[in-house]
Amino acid sequence: MVVAAHPLAAKAGLKMLKQGGNAVDAAIATAFALNATEPFASGIGGGGFMVIYLSQEKKVTVINFREKAPSQAFPEMFSEKGEIKKEWRVAHGLAVAVPGALAGWNYALKKYGTKNLANVMQRGIEIAEEGFKITPTFSAINKDEYEKLIKNAGEETTYLNKGFPYEPGEIFRNPDLARTFRKLATKGVDEFYRGEIARKIVEAIKIKGGIMTLKDLASYSPVEQIPLKGTYKDYTLYTLPPPGSGGLHIIQLLNIIQNWPIQKWGHNSPAYIHHFCEALCFVFADKARYLGDPDFIQIPVARLISKKYAAQIASKIKPDRLSGFYPPGEFEDNQLDQGNTTHLCVVDKKGNIVSLTQSINYFFGSGIVPAETGFLLNNHMADFSLDPHSLNAPRPNHRPVSSMAPLVVLREGKPVLTLGSPGGTRIFPSLTQIIVNIVDFGMSIDEAIETPRFFSYSFQGKAKSISIESRLAEKTIKFLEKMGHKVTIREAFDKYFGGAQGIMIPRGKKLFLGGADSRRDGYGVGY
Amino acid sequence: MKKIFLIASLFLLIFNLQGFSQGAKEYVFEEPLLISSAGQSAEVQIASVLAKRAGLSYTLEKIATIKDLENVKTLVLVLGTSMKGLGAAGLDMAKEKGRVKNLLKEAEKKNIPLLCLHLGGETRRGKLTDEMIRDFLPSAKAAIVVKSGNKDGIFSQICEENNIPLIEVEKTVQALKSFKKAFKHKIENHKSN
Repeated sequence: MVVAAHPLAAKAGLKMLKQGGNAVDAAIATAFALNATEPFASGIGGGGFMVIYLSQEKKVTVINFREKAPSQAFPEMFSEKGEIKKEWRVAHGLAVAVPGALAGWNYALKKYGTKNLANVMQRGIEIAEEGFKITPTFSAINKDEYEKLIKNAGEETTYLNKGFPYEPGEIFRNPDLARTFRKLATKGVDEFYRGEIARKIVEAIKIKGGIMTLKDLASYSPVEQIPLKGTYKDYTLYTLPPPGSGGLHIIQLLNIIQNWPIQKWGHNSPAYIHHFCEALCFVFADKARYLGDPDFIQIPVARLISKKYAAQIASKIKPDRLSGFYPPGEFEDNQLDQGNTTHLCVVDKKGNIVSLTQSINYFFGSGIVPAETGFLLNNHMADFSLDPHSLNAPRPNHRPVSSMAPLVVLREGKPVLTLGSPGGTRIFPSLTQIIVNIVDFGMSIDEAIETPRFFSYSFQGKAKSISIESRLAEKTIKFLEKMGHKVTIREAFDKYFGGAQGIMIPRGKKLFLGGADSRRDGYGVGY
Repeated sequence: MKKIFLIASLFLLIFNLQGFSQGAKEYVFEEPLLISSAGQSAEVQIASVLAKRAGLSYTLEKIATIKDLENVKTLVLVLGTSMKGLGAAGLDMAKEKGRVKNLLKEAEKKNIPLLCLHLGGETRRGKLTDEMIRDFLPSAKAAIVVKSGNKDGIFSQICEENNIPLIEVEKTVQALKSFKKAFKHKIENHKSN
């Protein structure tokens, strides 16, 4: 089974499975197809993380292909004469971090796959050449990012239809991307990191004021890591270690929630939402204080995910009002933060699992497209902190902290769930809600994903408003306001809260249950 | 027969049946334009590209204030609310509505007519956008909208109630022709003189 954020991409993965590929082959095939079908959310111009469960070895591993800051990056790089230039982090050459996706996919394929790069990218090539109908999701995002695309990609770009956003139903083709993929199929990933594509990347970034060098690209490599492990009731979660912060914070949140009678309170009841949001405020304070690139700093991971620490946080939370003070952190009040990124899950017939989250950061990334290559460059430098003293400030070759959290869940040693989501800082709060929906409230995977979500965080010690989907009951909102919360109501199915994809593996059954998110164009296929 | 033909032609001339709301006379605007947003949606940028391609003299100011109306002959408001856009501009709905209200008040004082656009179609309608439409469209001298955004007839209804010519186009790119037509070009004036 394959679940991904576009039907064509999910089907590309399924085709690979049917052709005898394993879960890793299928995941990479899906990833290439997502670059063609959902180019605004991921692709070879970005990076990500992959959690792989190998059923024969009963082993879980993580491939970290997160982007890196260029070697000339420095903590004050987004300031000029003391003034922070927000635009430089988002839609400028300085916003681009060294892409890791292709290196990561290639690494995973060589070590754990059975097919070669040319095989797995074939369907991606076909989709880019043949084109497909633009969905309302694609069109809306295209419109949202129009200004950035006009400025950085130009009116003639493939990513606009004769200079205007695509409308639903129009055909989107990307022949430049197809040509790029064909080049990679014959010349290998070195063409991207050391060859002509590398030169085009550096040139495009330089024109837009960036500092990436050919050496930065040539020296990029992904990293295989030991997964982070946590428990929730009789479930074991495997997810990303730092610089992925999402998995760590899911474990933290679940540890805190375990202290409360949430089933008694009820799903999405005022008491549940209040306690959950208060917990989020403490967790975000920890995120700001402790998280960075573990290649360069020490992170107290064991302390952060300990049940004891969680119990201490739970005891600080008042049942009927805001705590009022949360340990101060450096998490920016980033009003530009969006629900971006993409996630896919694959389970093959032997029970191997891949949970992959990847991104070019903001939708349409930096808006910069290297000449005639067809792919968008990321703006993941925006995931570094603006505070030059922060552990997560931009520094040479550092990976920025990520909220991504692909995960695999086991029960009694057997995999029962794989899950992940895009959504920026809403990733781990949303995934925690989905896990609780399944484990505590008995929902199916699809129900757990579709049910209304909420989000909150703290900034400099103060709680921010709770964002909720408008489907939550009016009286719930009033109760929360009575407790002292400010509530922001968003769309009924708002992609601000992510676009989760998941596969459930019920015990004792030869059956996979897929769940895809209506907030994006999520789709599941199996056989 | 001749008489019937003449009356029919006059009828067609007065009531241009192609896309105008019944009874509303076509309004012709003048350059230069000030293009601004009511709601901070991304479509305000599209309007500037339309103006550029139409060869019109314009200024784009997403959060225009009354000082931006200096030397302007037409105010173009692109209707559409975006939470992301409001956040990026440091505004909320109340502040944005206040800004646009002040702008319209000043435009009225200076006899600067208003042209409203809604370019996003059906997917760019929602509760917050509808508030902008209801608050500001009634002050317009004309409106150009992408047809799918008028499926429920909100634009038709408001335009009819206020005798505002409404031009509907199938796609955003087709708004270019209507946009051009809505403005009195200097070169045309020159020719007629």
